[in-house]
Amino acid sequence: MKRLLLNVAAVAVLVTTIFPVYWMFLTAFKPTRDINSPTPTFWPADPTFDHFVTAVNAPGFWTYWRNSLLVTVGAVLLALIVALLASFAVARMRWRGRGVFVVAVFAAQMAPWEALLVPVFIIARDTDLLDSLAMLTGVYFMITLPFTIVTLRGFLDAIPMELEEAAQVDGCSRMAAFRRVVFPLLAPGLMATSLFGFITAWNEFAFVNVLIIKDQDQRTLPVWLSSFRDVFGTDWGATMAAASLFALPALLLFLLLQRNVGTGMTAGAVKG
Amino acid sequence: MWTRTRSYWPYLLIAPAVAGGAFLLLYPLFKAAVISFQHFRMGELIRGGAAFVGLDNYTELLTGAEFWEVLLRTVVWTAINVVLIVGLSTGIALMLVRLGRGLRLALMSALALAWAMPIIAATTVFQWLFQSELGLVNWLLVTLGLESFQGYTWFADGTATFAVLVVLVVWQSVPFAALTLYAGLTTIPGELYESARIDGGTGWQVFWKVTFPILRSLFALVASLEVIWVAKCFPQIWVLSQGGPDDATTTLPVYAFKIARVLHRYDLGSAVAMLTVVILAIALVSNLRRMVRQ
Amino acid sequence: MRHRILALAAVFALSACGGGGEPEPGAASGAASTTLTVWIMDGSVTQDLLKKFETEYETAHQGIDLDIQIQAWDGIGERVTAALASTDAPDVIEVGNTQVAQYAASGGVSDLTGRIADLKGEDWLPGLAQPGNIDGKQYGIPWYAANRVVVYNKDLFAEAGITEHPKTRDEWIETTTKLNKDGNQGIYLTGQTWYALAGFIWDEGGDLAVQENGQWKGALDTPQAMAGMEFYKQLQALGKGPKDADEATPPQHEVFAQGKVAQIIAVPGAAARVLEVEPGMKDKMGFFPIPGKTADKPGTVFTGGSDLIIPVASQHQEEAYELVKALAGEKFQTELATTMSFVPNRTSLAGVLSGDEGTAAMAVGAANGRATPNTPNWAAVEATSVIKQYMTAVLTGADPATEAKKVSESITTTLNSGS
Repeated sequence: MKRLLLNVAAVAVLVTTIFPVYWMFLTAFKPTRDINSPTPTFWPADPTFDHFVTAVNAPGFWTYWRNSLLVTVGAVLLALIVALLASFAVARMRWRGRGVFVVAVFAAQMAPWEALLVPVFIIARDTDLLDSLAMLTGVYFMITLPFTIVTLRGFLDAIPMELEEAAQVDGCSRMAAFRRVVFPLLAPGLMATSLFGFITAWNEFAFVNVLIIKDQDQRTLPVWLSSFRDVFGTDWGATMAAASLFALPALLLFLLLQRNVGTGMTAGAVKG
Repeated sequence: MWTRTRSYWPYLLIAPAVAGGAFLLLYPLFKAAVISFQHFRMGELIRGGAAFVGLDNYTELLTGAEFWEVLLRTVVWTAINVVLIVGLSTGIALMLVRLGRGLRLALMSALALAWAMPIIAATTVFQWLFQSELGLVNWLLVTLGLESFQGYTWFADGTATFAVLVVLVVWQSVPFAALTLYAGLTTIPGELYESARIDGGTGWQVFWKVTFPILRSLFALVASLEVIWVAKCFPQIWVLSQGGPDDATTTLPVYAFKIARVLHRYDLGSAVAMLTVVILAIALVSNLRRMVRQ
Repeated sequence: MRHRILALAAVFALSACGGGGEPEPGAASGAASTTLTVWIMDGSVTQDLLKKFETEYETAHQGIDLDIQIQAWDGIGERVTAALASTDAPDVIEVGNTQVAQYAASGGVSDLTGRIADLKGEDWLPGLAQPGNIDGKQYGIPWYAANRVVVYNKDLFAEAGITEHPKTRDEWIETTTKLNKDGNQGIYLTGQTWYALAGFIWDEGGDLAVQENGQWKGALDTPQAMAGMEFYKQLQALGKGPKDADEATPPQHEVFAQGKVAQIIAVPGAAARVLEVEPGMKDKMGFFPIPGKTADKPGTVFTGGSDLIIPVASQHQEEAYELVKALAGEKFQTELATTMSFVPNRTSLAGVLSGDEGTAAMAVGAANGRATPNTPNWAAVEATSVIKQYMTAVLTGADPATEAKKVSESITTTLNSGS
């Protein structure tokens, strides 16, 4: 009886959780006529690929797709490298100012990014970095860095220091010990951490809007996605098709890596 | 443990992070702080030459009634959301531990999918689900016999709009918290539970006596992160209600956005942002202290 | 060990500098040619017409290369602001006529007062020319206008036995009531179609905001404005338009395309969008001007439209002006008006519209066209959606007087917030 109740509750949560995602994909496959019909349909009775064709054939789709990928992957990789160095220092060494650094990293997550649009714009303008993906990559890197450090540090904390020490006793240098022993253990953590960065950077559009001005070919997917809506009307089907295509990389990554998603934070926090 | 090193290595290792933070975060933050003491609007952004006006912007904010109303609303907004998020996530995490393998994997995948759904897409879908005439929610409620929801206008009423936004934000935030807490639960050795049970504890007591103390710092971390994220939550509110109706959903970031980029009063907007940071820091000061001690 | 760290640092440095790996824009084009970047709003001009213009213009002007970029409405305010504040802005930008004043006032737009005669500006549409004019200086050059008409479903009108379209408000309500039955909607009017409300208010002799002694004052709480809102409420009730949304959510042309809606208030160009969804609607759509209070005077309408501006930060002022001249000139205006069902920027060109039912209905209304209050801050009133929220409140049963007073005060504050 208890078992049944639990399962029923779990299914209810499952349905609630998945429904909006399902609805997005469903709408993308519905013919326009059915989308705004008064009686909703929950199954694509008459699925169509028209909306996907519209979305993919819209001017610039692939350029924006490529830009998004370039900027996001660039920012995430950069953040991972920088965060790995910093979290190694925090997790494996004791030094003056460590506590301050930890607090600063945590506090950096409070950064009011919306309010920094204008200052960042001015800085980009004065350093001649407007219309460049490099500036965008830099900003996304910075947005994702604090969380990446916090999480990676958690993963590092979870790996027993004795393993490295043993390796060093065996004659490895500290760097080699790290590379041969810690890094393989850390790999899942790195992947999981990169997910968060990926989803954040992949979603961002406020900065693209002011940092990429004249050179339209440097815009990214979210800006393009919002461009489906305009004052005289909205093509919901195509919007949802575009949103589905937009969500797809993130969804796939998540499904692949979800096992590791929560562990980093946990490790760090439980230990601390 | 490698003891405290006098070497420059740790500093070298954090140097890239510090350098990035200095140029891309501290410098803009400093600029924003400067702007908050200036007369800085669209004209100044375009032509330059902003004049310093001392504390004028802060005075204008702090003496007006609106800022305080918004602040109170933000506190309520954050409290409701964080309580719901942490409560629901704990429930789901505990549920996940007890589920069979198949259902657990399915639920975890669903959570991951919800988490990964782009914010703009999710918000658009919600806006649509709650449409008054063709929306699915009204259709469902009417089908279930609640006739009064025929054509119910969710976005006409402040409380209803607020509620819809809470549902949206909770829906988006629960996956991260639930998966993290679940991962935490799996680290607790099973024997601890067994001995607690043998001692005659009910499920509720076991949670408070065994689970919670062990995961206390994890709960604190998740809760603090959610406080930051919910208090700063912006795109959802802006797309769905633009802070309306009647300012019922205008939280601090929405307020800052309105005065900065709609009214082009970048000076006042920067002042709001500065105050937001200070308030968040105060709210989380205990957590920060704990981290220094760590 | 040190080498490894250095290598890592080098990787970091490399990725920091080369993170984008972006190609230099425009580097490939020959040194002799000048690229002019033009921003055109989404939905303004069809791709075909733009392509045609581009080809002709580039042939006629050797050494000029046009880069026409279609801009989405979403977030356009920030993009234009950023462009004006940048050091290398687009050369010509299309801006909505309710937005142009704020940009003109910012100091980032080139003053074209000296060019008015050259552009034959003596008979520009006032609804486009006035907002582009600040303190006697002309910054915005009128481009095109459009106003809303009633688009109706001929079949549903015939079914209800209606042979003649309504000429007065009373007839309109009567007709719409007749149409609003058997599962059909008399009119699909969303609760936040504030352009329509503006028209009703102007008909009553009211206004959205008025200027007294140099101070702006929200005027939705005047008896005239409240009478306009009252009529809106009466009309809105004759269909199932959502009270808490505007005409874009869901897009009203899609609802109309389902064939159960007798009328919508839209620009004539919406007919083409209906056909995209439901080709079967061809020949079923008719148009008439929004009825006024009396039969001799059609309803006042909001003149929507666009102006062209040249940012001060454009690096090609002279070339940009030549381009504006071509876009605002008679030849392109004629093509634009006939292709897009728009009203051309000069009254003397209005003749090109005769012969098309939709544009003819629009032209009748256009004679009574009005613009939003002429102040740089009006754009902010629109952006904060206070009027939309006011409409929803009244439509869902709040006290009209209280709500009107509240929204008027809010508008007063916004309009006087200085710059």
